[in-house]
Amino acid sequence: MTAALDQQAAAGGLAIESIGALAVAVADPSAARDFYCRILGGVASGSDVLPECRSHELIRFPAGQMLALARAGNRPDLSETGVHQAYRATAGAAEAIAGRLQSGGIQIRRYREDREAEQGDRLYFFDPDGNRVQIVIRDAAVDGEGIYGIDHAAVQVPDMLWAGHFYGTVLGLEAESRFGLRTADHALARVWAAGEDDMAPGTRRLDKLYMTMGGQNEVPRTNMQVYYTVGEGVIGVYLATAHFQEPPEDQLAGVPRMILQAPRAALDIAAARLETEGRPYLGPVPHPASAPFSASLYFKDTGGNFFEICSPGGS
Amino acid sequence: MAEIQSINHSAICVHDLQEAEDFYCGVLGARTASATDYITQDVIRGRSLHKSIVLEDYLIALMLARDFMPMPPSDQMRGAHGFRHGFYVPRARFDELMAALADHGVAYEGPVTHPEDGPFGQSIYLQDPSGNFLEFLWRRDEDLPYDPVEGIGEG
Repeated sequence: MTAALDQQAAAGGLAIESIGALAVAVADPSAARDFYCRILGGVASGSDVLPECRSHELIRFPAGQMLALARAGNRPDLSETGVHQAYRATAGAAEAIAGRLQSGGIQIRRYREDREAEQGDRLYFFDPDGNRVQIVIRDAAVDGEGIYGIDHAAVQVPDMLWAGHFYGTVLGLEAESRFGLRTADHALARVWAAGEDDMAPGTRRLDKLYMTMGGQNEVPRTNMQVYYTVGEGVIGVYLATAHFQEPPEDQLAGVPRMILQAPRAALDIAAARLETEGRPYLGPVPHPASAPFSASLYFKDTGGNFFEICSPGGS
Repeated sequence: MAEIQSINHSAICVHDLQEAEDFYCGVLGARTASATDYITQDVIRGRSLHKSIVLEDYLIALMLARDFMPMPPSDQMRGAHGFRHGFYVPRARFDELMAALADHGVAYEGPVTHPEDGPFGQSIYLQDPSGNFLEFLWRRDEDLPYDPVEGIGEG
């Protein structure tokens, strides 16, 4: 494993295997756990299990990935941004989830997104805390009426070039697709502005030009987004269309957080890269045997989004 | 009378900014000097999406076209189509450039030999990925002193 990792690290990759878990901010972890388990399925797996994750309830999914619903009192409204979490379900399970949403009086949104892989995935809703959830239809090893696992998650950043360096060079992730850089993307934005394409929040925007051009002072544009491959999923990185408050500079672990899974040696390589870049980090921190991970490295991306790389092991 | 010294830079429209940057920087060896509308503050200000690149001593702003432009057929390598940018290449590096284009699968026409009593030796003609015409040439008078122009806008 170490030799293979050394080889991959030399090529820039960190051998990040998957999104191992997501930590999502909610007002009431117990109520959120009941909601997610009822709508999405999964197994409630205890309270305050993950280190550095505030007070939380943990749910495990059949794929082995976990969702931590962590208490956060002052969660910002991200409903109009690209920030969201997406879960995999078979077609049958997605239908069952839609049924449960309708029965519960929860509005189903049929947005479209730009990624080719998501053209058929138009099942969205907001959880009671305003977190946007997407269901993507994929084949799964286990069929049922709930989700199989986490497919992807998206964050917003204030600088796409800086983020590109961080995700591409520091984390060694490959850009799967980019949007907002082509004339064709802007043509699609005009269709959206005409009300003929129900696009997901964060994917389109109306710019007010700093000068009037041809009497037109609002221009629809496809907002810049880059998707980076992580195992079988992706991390979506969206350009923030408004300023947002980042966490304190010295806070290195927090919620919401994306928890990436990688071999133990990758944590040391990532720490060395962060050191070289002059970016602060915490760890690698060894965890007690009761924790689901053996060790974790905590840091933030260039947009202040919390990240953790963990190595499997523990309970 | 205005004391105009020379052409300073060009702004050209492209249909795919990433593809254009890959071509100008990855194939022709330009470097990226600045980028606009990649940050939140530019979005709020309504800036246009573009990147400025410097090819040797010449700055080109690659502007993303908001509408599709009628471009020449992809197999037409020579023309003006509004304009054509011609870049001088030392004679010693002319073959190197053609080899680099071939390595990247970039089609070009030429080399076309110019009259011996003129300043130009040979030219090759091609399109960038969006269809903008480019010409690269070596000059018979390349040993004459040359006054390079300083680029702007690299901040």
